[in-house]
Amino acid sequence: MRSRVAFRMVLHDRASTAGSLLGVVAIVFLVGQQLSVFFGLLNYMSVLVDHSAADVWITSAELRNADATNFISGRYVDRVLGFPEIAWAEPVLFANGLFRTPTGSFESVRLVGCRRPRLIAGPWEFVKGEPAALLDLESITIDSLDVVKLGQPELSSVTEIGGRRVRVAGITKGARGFQGTLVFAAIDKVREIAATPPGRYSAVLVGLKPGADRDAVLARLRSALPQCSVFSKGELSRLTRLYYITNTGIGGSFGFSTAIAVLIGVVIISLTMYASVLGRYKDFAVLRALGGRRRDIVIVVLSQALMIAGAGVFFGLVLLAVLLDATRGSEVPSYMPAMVPPTLALAAVVVSILGSMVALVQALKAEPASVFH
Amino acid sequence: MRVDRLALDKVARDFTDGRQVRRVLFPTELELAAGQLTILAGPSGSGKTTLLSIMGLVLRPTEGRLFLGDVELTRLSDAAAAAVRLGNYGFVFQQPMLVEGLPVIENVLLAAGVQGGRPPRALRQRATELLAALGLSGTERMQPRLLSGGMKQRASIARALLKNPTVLLCDEPTSSLDAESGQAVMAILKRTALEDHRIVVVVSHDARVFPYADRLVKLENGRIVSDTRERYVDLGSSAV
Repeated sequence: MRSRVAFRMVLHDRASTAGSLLGVVAIVFLVGQQLSVFFGLLNYMSVLVDHSAADVWITSAELRNADATNFISGRYVDRVLGFPEIAWAEPVLFANGLFRTPTGSFESVRLVGCRRPRLIAGPWEFVKGEPAALLDLESITIDSLDVVKLGQPELSSVTEIGGRRVRVAGITKGARGFQGTLVFAAIDKVREIAATPPGRYSAVLVGLKPGADRDAVLARLRSALPQCSVFSKGELSRLTRLYYITNTGIGGSFGFSTAIAVLIGVVIISLTMYASVLGRYKDFAVLRALGGRRRDIVIVVLSQALMIAGAGVFFGLVLLAVLLDATRGSEVPSYMPAMVPPTLALAAVVVSILGSMVALVQALKAEPASVFH
Repeated sequence: MRVDRLALDKVARDFTDGRQVRRVLFPTELELAAGQLTILAGPSGSGKTTLLSIMGLVLRPTEGRLFLGDVELTRLSDAAAAAVRLGNYGFVFQQPMLVEGLPVIENVLLAAGVQGGRPPRALRQRATELLAALGLSGTERMQPRLLSGGMKQRASIARALLKNPTVLLCDEPTSSLDAESGQAVMAILKRTALEDHRIVVVVSHDARVFPYADRLVKLENGRIVSDTRERYVDLGSSAV
């Protein structure tokens, strides 16, 4: 009966219910949108590491993020291949270059050079073309997100990067780095463009044999290569993300805007529910006079908060899903890990309950004696 | 618990107004019997509503003791007092105080479900019967705002009677009603006192309702100044 009373009150007090609902929807939608952008940017930060087929990354010493590798010697490739647990080792070379657009302007790009024929650390998903396209020395790929920025070059069109002839042989999907446009090419082409000394690489990517003890191999590699940093794929991904979060202000920025969204939601919920309870003050006093205990009043108010939270979470998540669907594949970074919606829903319920506390305190002040004039 | 007396033993009440303590009810002795309609009368500020609130366990006396039957109610905890109110008391307020948003039938059932739980089918049946007996057939699903003042007050009487209370406390139940509705409400209260053997207490300063009293207790300045026992009206029978 108490939850029924709460339900009837929620339905009847349309204005305050709508206000509180707006608060919850605002929290779910705004925070959800912020989080989707944040996680989208997180994916950008470590996109090359996350999509590499490698189990282990070997880089220059004291590495702070995957985009800031110094050159290491190519001899490490042969050295690590001597470990029995290692299935393969492939070098990769990163460099920056200027892409000449069809109109003659230039755009800076991040070049990722991978060794033929394995093309480890190469593109993982194509809109047009196929991985084998990079087997040709002149071939490069650009990403679908950057096609407009790069002047919409046609497939098979020839252009220049760093003054060197390249041919657009494929268009990738979802290959965007935190530092901008990613262009994949053969490692020799990248070396040519960036004039990198021979035998020098940005990293060596290592694949383990099935059943190999990853932690044990990591320990042995670290011991054998004291001049290098040796990371598991997950470690390097986390290191890179943490670096950008803490060194670019992006973490603080998103944290602040999320906190503001939550605060606005809490204030809206608090004010509207408080106003609702003020309007219902006599009703709560009547409930007390009829035999209601304080805990019954708590249940009525919290039931109202939970009902509003439930509806708000539903509408907020629907709106969020519409937004994410609309921005999917666009330049707006967005990604929603599976654990975020339930976490967000739980957080919204907790925040709604917190927002109802002021109203609850007011409702508990309703004295049964006040029903007698 | 079916009992036949509500007794106040030297009950007094003070209110604090800033630093000043003001006594609004001086030590009062009163014993009310079942089967009687008692009217507490007096001018504004005479202490009748304070007395009613203490009887209704919604206000604690500063001193003195309150008994329902032989059970002392004065020192009950809030939760225990709420349980006694729920099980033994019915209230009719000056304004009907029906909860907006709840249909009439749910307002009536509130008296049984305020501590949770779904009222049993028998109580739902009784609620419907009470509404019918009070001339409110067909209003069960209606919102209170669609009822007239008299209809609302009758619905609030149905709520008060739902759990067959031992004590029915009414605070100026006719003051917001026209003369005809007021007479009808008093007749209902009178019947429920006589035929259901309840302790019915009505606070009023409207002399037009005094003829319904079996006992008329007048207060002035926080003290009982007269206590008249006389049955004024025989209303015949029509069970509620």
